[in-house]
Parts: sequence; structure tokens; C-alpha cells
Amino acid sequence: MNGARIAFRNLSRQKRRSFLLGGAIAFGVLIITLVNSATGGFVENVQENFVHILAGHIFLEGLERTPSGRTVSVIRDDTALTQAVLATAGIPVRSLARRSQLTGNLIFEGEGVQQIVVGVNWAEEKELARRLRLRAGSIEDFLASPDGLILNEKIARRLRAEPGDRLLVQLRTLTGQQNVGDFALAAVSADTGILSTISAYSHRSHVNALLNILPHEYTSLGITVERLPSVDAAAARLYAALQSQVQLFPRLARSGNSDDIRRVQKQIRDDRWEGTKFQLTTINDYLGSVNQLAATLNILGIALVLILFVIITVGILNTFRMVIYERTREIGTLRALGMQRRSLRGLFLLESLFLSLGGALAGLAASAAVAGAMTLIRFDPASPFAVFLSSGRLTFKLAPANLLAYLLGVAAISLLAVLVPAVRAANLEPARSLRQTY
Amino acid sequence: MKQTVAALVLLAACAAALPAADPDIPGIVARLDQQARFANVDFSCTYTLVAEKPGEEPSVFKVRLFRRDREEKFLILFLEPETQKGQGYLQIEDNLWFYDPESRKFAHSSFKENLSDSDAKNSDMRASSLLQDYSIVAYEPNRLGKYDVWVVSLKANNDEVSYPKQRLWISQADNLLLKAESYSLSDRLMRSAYYPNYVQVDGRFLPSRMLFVDELNQGEKTQATIKDPSLAVLPDSVFTKAYLEKVNR
Repeated sequence: MNGARIAFRNLSRQKRRSFLLGGAIAFGVLIITLVNSATGGFVENVQENFVHILAGHIFLEGLERTPSGRTVSVIRDDTALTQAVLATAGIPVRSLARRSQLTGNLIFEGEGVQQIVVGVNWAEEKELARRLRLRAGSIEDFLASPDGLILNEKIARRLRAEPGDRLLVQLRTLTGQQNVGDFALAAVSADTGILSTISAYSHRSHVNALLNILPHEYTSLGITVERLPSVDAAAARLYAALQSQVQLFPRLARSGNSDDIRRVQKQIRDDRWEGTKFQLTTINDYLGSVNQLAATLNILGIALVLILFVIITVGILNTFRMVIYERTREIGTLRALGMQRRSLRGLFLLESLFLSLGGALAGLAASAAVAGAMTLIRFDPASPFAVFLSSGRLTFKLAPANLLAYLLGVAAISLLAVLVPAVRAANLEPARSLRQTY
Repeated sequence: MKQTVAALVLLAACAAALPAADPDIPGIVARLDQQARFANVDFSCTYTLVAEKPGEEPSVFKVRLFRRDREEKFLILFLEPETQKGQGYLQIEDNLWFYDPESRKFAHSSFKENLSDSDAKNSDMRASSLLQDYSIVAYEPNRLGKYDVWVVSLKANNDEVSYPKQRLWISQADNLLLKAESYSLSDRLMRSAYYPNYVQVDGRFLPSRMLFVDELNQGEKTQATIKDPSLAVLPDSVFTKAYLEKVNR
């Protein structure tokens, strides 16, 4: 206890030096924490944005070959799939989304725009109805209209269409035939970023009719799990459970690897099969480049922190060599008064530990303050950067394990840096130390 | 004598009361296919397409078409506009490739796609196979302007054709296609095509002017005119990817 008090006193005796050294440590921790937490936020936001758009973390598609050799994506019977999803242990299912999707040319009074229209079973996806922010029209009007459409405000503006207008859609059916249908524009949704213009929403039964498939059929099954980190493990369990029940394409060996994606696509093109063969993918397969970007940013952050640690190490080493040189007579006095070598060594180590932990905590506090301030900035939701944002704002996510690792890393490095000067100080002869003059 | 006249009048009345002999509609459609299919010879011509869109200057495309129908091959080479010069489509059986000289790459295309930014389809350039691709579901006599026509309704029997349903106006006098309406699966009229002029090439009639009207996008239409039709033998090398690459060097 005395050692800790003396260590604190020694640090406060040299306020300027302690402040500068602690400040350097704080700055290093601030930078690495910001980089790491911003990267974590980017990745999570991109994943969440895509999860909302695609309605799931894990996806199942049923692929069929038409007599002419065309591959079509349709799930006609999902009994085995649903059973496997719900009955397999270790798949923390939050929700299922059975959706159909068409890509067509929306036409209104001479204006046309290519648009993806997602057919949703709204009884199954009540959360989506609650989450949509509407600028015009109402969700009640939409739900009451069997051929209703919810269109992003940007697209509606381009078409100069308003709720109540009827829009034509020109599309291909699932098997590639030309088809034309109508939508009743029931509501206009707020533009919340680049991703929100990708999809318009309608009723699955109407989209199915336009695609020329039966009302109970659909084009993809999206499974949302409780926790994002459990996606890959849950996908592996589901794949294993399905293997004995349905025909499956192989999974990607490495999530998001473009070579693997090409290999599987080639296999789908070249394969010949009867009936429906399913493909299981996860959000991570689609976000390979995002994960690569995150990994690159993390590597950059680690490189940065290593450089900072080296600077801190050299700083602490030099500072404590000077401290010991300045306090040689004090060391001699303490030794003459009976302080053991071990205690003396511990005293210097404690000083270093307090300094580094103080600096690290200050760095974390500064990082929290900077991150907090940055989250107040609202970016243009229409910018290409919007995919990295959550409702137009930056978010910062730092794993507790990383936080602990930074604290322990800074503490370990500072202890290591001060070890040599501390041992040298402890080994000084008391009589010689007392004779030391400056 | 009176009896003879009465018998003749009765016979004429009976003949008038009898229904007219059923037209051979499959035969008529088969003859349309024959007119538009060069079974034993090569065919080449230049098409000029003028595409009009509301509020825009008309776009003019000039393409050279080479066809060898007996081998299910065609090649379309863009001559105009300057920005598309050298682009081309190559059909070999059921495959259609698009060549872009900028990237020097071939990409798979579809017969259902429009030819560049016009309202003509790539399939309009290939040999006709109506009888093979469609089933005749109805027909009726009608008039189109001053012409007596058969209006024949067709329904696709495969998914590979550009339109699932078609109605054809075929002249009763000479079995020429005068008009075609193309419908979506939901029976919505998507395109009307008019064939007002024909030229005779080696004993067969070819439409020398065609008008394609987009019925979904009001005011969009394309007029295609044919020039320099020829049945001269074409070298085998024309129907190759190498040819498209070579003409761009």
C-alpha cells in the first residue's frame, strides 16, 4: 500500500513529464480505439443494412432447370426447409421471411425506371410494416390494396407518381416470358439511403401472379438469427441438417471469397439435376469485400498501434532511465533505510503501471467523447457512404475483449519497458548512490 | 325448263347456306415462315432503323445483316451511329453473343432483347419459326384497310420466344403479313408491328419497311427499312467471332 502511495507521489512530483508521457499513451489508445470501433461499426451497419434489405442472415434458394436449360429460382415446397430450420438445435431463429422478387421496368406517364419489387407476406413480416417510414399514403391503404406498391420517394419523384396512381410494370416471368401488370401506388417511403432505393414492396401474391408462379410459392427464404456472430455456425448446422433431406449445392469454402463464388456459380451453370436443388448462402458470403475492407482497416489499426507502442516503449524506457539517474540519491536513501531491492523494483514498476493505465483510461475516455461527438453528425443518407451508416449516422462498436486487450497490452508494454531501468535501480549500491552528485 | 331453273336456284341457295371451306391456317402460317426463312441460300441486307422517343431527337441505327438460316446463324454488324460502329451480334443456333469493340469482349445476349435502343427485337432479325414456336388458338376473317385478312391468334408453346402471345393480320389474297400485335402473358398489348411495303427478292416477298410501335411507352416507335437485299453466297468466315474482331481492327 505504501509502495502505491509513494508511486503516486513520485508521479505527481513530475507533473509535466507524467502528463506528457501519459498523454502519448492516451493518444495511442485513442487512435487505435477509434479505428477499431469505427471499423466494427461500419461492418455491423453494412450487415444490418443488408439484413434489412435481404430479410435475413441465412438464405435458401431453390434452383430448377427448365426444359430449355434455363435455371430458375423458386421454392415450391418448403416443408423440409422449415422443418430443418425450426427443428435443428443451435439455430437461434428470430424470424423467417418467405419472399418473391421481380425486377421490372416501372412505367408511369411516359417515364420508366428499372426497379426491384419485393413481394412480402405481410402477415409474416409485421416488423417490416412497422419499420417503414412513409412520406405519403399509409400502410393501412397499402395492406388493403391487393396490388398495392410502396415505392421509395426518390423513385416516385422520378416517375412523378403519387399515392393513388396506377403504375405499369414490364417484367419477365420466372421462366423468361414477357409480362405486363399493374401496381397501385399506395404509399411512398422515406429515402433512408442508397439501399432504400433498391427495393419497392408489394404483396407476395401479386408479385407471384406477375412472375407466373403459384400463390404459396416464393423465390427465397430468409432466416434472421438472434445474434450476428452465430450466423456461420447456424448456417453450418442447417446445411448439415438439410443434406439428408434435399439436394444441395456445396457451400462456399471461404465466406465472401470471389473465386469460390465463381466456382459455385460455374457448378450451377454446368450441373444437371432433376427437381429442385437448394443453395444455402449467408450474409457473410455477400459481404466478402466489406469484410475484407474491415480486415484491412483492422490490420492498419494494428500496424498503427504497434508503431505507437514502440514509441511509448522508447519513451517510457528513456524517461525512467532519466528518472533513475535523477533519483539515484533518493534510491540510496531508501535502500539505506532498509527498503529491499524487490520493493524498490516494484516501486518503479508500479509507477509505470499507474502511468500507462492512467494514460490508457484517459485515451478510452477521449475516444468515447470523440466517438460520441461524431455520432451526432448526420450524413447525407443519399451518399454512397450511407451503406456504412445507421440511419445516416456513424456508429462505433468496440468488443469488450478488444478493450481489455488494449489495457493489458499497454500495461504489459510499459512494465516491460521499465523493467530494465527498475532492475538497474534496485541493484544500485546504497553507499555509492548516496555519494552520487549531479 | 322451269324445273331446271328452280333446281339451279335451290342449288345456289344451298351453296350459299353452306359454310365456306375452312382456310388452311397452319398452311398459311407455314408459308409466312417460308417467306421469311432462307432455307437454301444466304441472305444479306442493310437495315436502317429510326427510333423515335418523345422529347428526344430520333436515333438512327444502320446495321448490316448476314443470315444463313439453314445453319441457324446470323450476324449483325453496326455501321452507324459512330459510337456503336463495330458492335455486333452473332447467332449460332440458340446462342446469341454481343460483341463490344471497346472492351473487345463477347457477352451472352438474348433474342428477347431490343436491338440497341430501338423497338425492334433481336429475334426480328432471325429466321421465322412461328409454326414451331406457337400454337394457333383462333382465327377469324377481317379487314385491314382495303385488304381482306385472316386474323390469327397464336400462343407460345415454349418460353424462349420474345412474346407469349401474338395476333397476326395476314392478307387473304397473297398470304403476306400486314400487321402483328404482340401480347404479354397477362394479355396486355406490348408492341404492334406493321409491314406496309414488300419487295420481291428471287421470287419471295420481303418486308421492305416495318414499323414497330411500343404500346407501353406512348410515342416510342421504330421504323426499319431494308436496302441492298442479296442472296449472294457468303463466306463461312462471316459467321464467326473472329469476323467481328477482324472488322474492328
